[in-house]
Amino acid sequence: MAKHRILFSKDGTARFISHLDLMRTIQRAFLRAGISIWHTEGFHPHPYTAIPLPLPLFFSSECEILEFGLEGGATMETLPDALNAALPDGIRVHTCYEDGLAFRHLTFVRYQISMEFEEPLAQAAGKALSELLSRESHVITKRSKKAKSGQTELDIIPQIHCVESLVAQDDRLELQVLLRAQNPGLNPELLVNAFRAEYPDLSSFFTRYHRSAILDESLQPYR
Amino acid sequence: MTTTLERILTRVQKPARYTGGEYLATKKPLSSVDVRAALCFPDTYEIGMSNLGLRILYGVLNQMDGVWCERVFAPWGDMEAEMRKENLPLYALESGDPIREFDLFGFSVGYEMAYTNILNLLDLAGLPLRSEDRTELTPLIIAGGTCTYNPEPLAPFIDLFSIGEGEEALPELVTLLRQAKAEHWSKPEFLRAAAKLPGFYAPSLYEHSYHADGTIAAITPKDGAPKKVTKRLMRDMNEAYFPTDTMVPSTEIVQDRVMLELFRGCIRGCRFCQAGFIYRPVRNRDVELLKEQGISSCQQSGYQEMTLASLSSSDYPDLLPLCDGLLEWCAPHQVSLALPSLRADNFSMQLMERLSAGGRKSGLTFAPEAGSQRLRDAINKNLTEEDLLASCRTAFSGGWNAVKLYFMLGLPTETDEDILGIADLADKVHRVWKESSPNRARGVRITVSTSCFVPKSHTPFQWEAQNTQEEYLRKVTLLREAIRNRSITYNWHDPETSFLEAVFSRGDRRLADALEEAWRNGARFDSWSEYFNLPRWLEAFKTCGIDPAFYANRTREKDEILPWYTISDGVRDAYLWDEREKCYQAAVTPDCRTACSHCGANRFCEGGVCHG
Repeated sequence: MAKHRILFSKDGTARFISHLDLMRTIQRAFLRAGISIWHTEGFHPHPYTAIPLPLPLFFSSECEILEFGLEGGATMETLPDALNAALPDGIRVHTCYEDGLAFRHLTFVRYQISMEFEEPLAQAAGKALSELLSRESHVITKRSKKAKSGQTELDIIPQIHCVESLVAQDDRLELQVLLRAQNPGLNPELLVNAFRAEYPDLSSFFTRYHRSAILDESLQPYR
Repeated sequence: MTTTLERILTRVQKPARYTGGEYLATKKPLSSVDVRAALCFPDTYEIGMSNLGLRILYGVLNQMDGVWCERVFAPWGDMEAEMRKENLPLYALESGDPIREFDLFGFSVGYEMAYTNILNLLDLAGLPLRSEDRTELTPLIIAGGTCTYNPEPLAPFIDLFSIGEGEEALPELVTLLRQAKAEHWSKPEFLRAAAKLPGFYAPSLYEHSYHADGTIAAITPKDGAPKKVTKRLMRDMNEAYFPTDTMVPSTEIVQDRVMLELFRGCIRGCRFCQAGFIYRPVRNRDVELLKEQGISSCQQSGYQEMTLASLSSSDYPDLLPLCDGLLEWCAPHQVSLALPSLRADNFSMQLMERLSAGGRKSGLTFAPEAGSQRLRDAINKNLTEEDLLASCRTAFSGGWNAVKLYFMLGLPTETDEDILGIADLADKVHRVWKESSPNRARGVRITVSTSCFVPKSHTPFQWEAQNTQEEYLRKVTLLREAIRNRSITYNWHDPETSFLEAVFSRGDRRLADALEEAWRNGARFDSWSEYFNLPRWLEAFKTCGIDPAFYANRTREKDEILPWYTISDGVRDAYLWDEREKCYQAAVTPDCRTACSHCGANRFCEGGVCHG
């Protein structure tokens, strides 16, 4: 099977579609668009679609990748428009291509984290956050499906490749970070939760997360 | 999406229920819209979006120029708490705009246990609950659906009821509302005019008075309102709108598949079944049209499962050609066919082969309803034991090894002998499995379920008393002790919900106070066991001085004025009484296709002849 990929964004109301529902939604969109994709072989064949780095619920993203096998109904050139016409609000396909890098090369993820405060606490929070991020090590416990206890420990500091920018003004703090993507990788919500636990008085009122880039080990866009 | 909503959604379960934005959800530019409508199924998104009626009316209204119809569902408890905390009023899914700014807010009411959700939704919208307290013309609050054939318990809350099928009636109402808005009519003026449209019932135009014993003394129409409101219906299902280009949710719903509506009505006339009477006469869709609609629905939705929907699918005259025609397209496209609502007397080998064409053999469900032939005759189920056993034999020999059997306890004329007959029948099914299963090593699962019979309006049993909960539980124990076979599992529904259903299904407008009281004390989502609380309801009845047994457990006299007598489904009252008498003689009435029983519903057919 030739492996194809689409690069798509997920925004607006689509942020609330869970990973599992997203897979189902895109598989149905392929059918609606009359695009046939490769099915697994075996007793219960099912359409093959894979996403290397599932996006957590509520996050927006401009760089999601889904892998599948294009069998007919569209060419790589016509596929984005055809599929877009069959997708719900907030999911937009930008390109379709083949011969992507193996999933294991997806190494870094860039997130834009925007924190809103009820009071003009952003500068103080920015300082505190810088302090936390400059530590040698900061171990948190997180939920784990694999561990028997249901919890596992993770040092978040080595998972943060770098802080690219931190802008604090009045009641808003904009943070751009490059995090390790996998094995184990870091969900930026855990970073914000760790901050909240360390500095409860500087907790943000609402935080938005946006995934703006995925990169390979040499910091080039992963495709 | 507002920041408030966005923030709330990160804190609730299944947020995709509350966002809209689904594929094919209708959006219109506000500049092109002069009537804004919202249709609401007063249950969760997953249940409401599974309702075909709502999708049909949504499509019909959105086809109208200048009309934008949106959707609303009941927020689950966590969402409701957040909305109240953040003062976020009830909004429509497509635009996110508050419902109180709309012109029309319509509820589709399929079951009594949704009544408190309706009150809750009005409250979340920031609207007064009672029609008389909403003095403006808009938003006009309307309701329709099966439950509104007895609209009385909701009468003080709803401005206008749409009785029967809404495809033609609703556009007429919207047109009138548009005129009323343009000409600045008052709400009473509008209601008087709307009550003259066929199929609309304005409860405020009817006065109910009562005898000292609590029964109704008189129902008096005012201001020229008609004495009887007769249901609306689509005469020709081939002309009726069917939504082949309907919304596809981005999250899983209960009926996450194409629903193809074969026909409306039912030829059978089971005496307990309200749907069997109120949807008369039976109206089939043409087989060729159904094939087109089914295939087109799959293509436009991307669904890979199709269910053939009707009250009794095996009574569709061209079922086999339909299945074959659909399978010709479905099989190569990996679309599976599901056929619920099969009768145990015409489940054939040929049909079974088509069902198993999808590869998976899920369980089969039959509903004999009663355990003995006498009682099945009394309720006019017209199903013999031989038929049932023959169907089971067909299924078992075809490789099925799970059968569910549904029964009701507390049917009129029932004796303990009839109840023990259920255990006997299940044993016989087990024996048939032993004789016919090609692979006995796999074992068999026979599940017997019973529920407590709820007498419904517009049926021959509308005069009957429901069994008390104690009586029902005694019968459950009797049956449980009679079922000794380990291959047979017995499940019974608790009688508490059935009791409350019986109160409301034949209730009058005095119940509205108790409904409001129960809601104020926290009742909502009463069809969900995590919410349902009978003591809360009993307390509310007590506070309002209402005896629920008066409604549930009392036998009505022949000449009693019943609360729903203003609403006609076309079937003659005298016919229903005759059917009741025949029940007591255990006499059957043939189905409509075999012989016309002159129920009165033929008045809706051209030339007065039904074509079942």
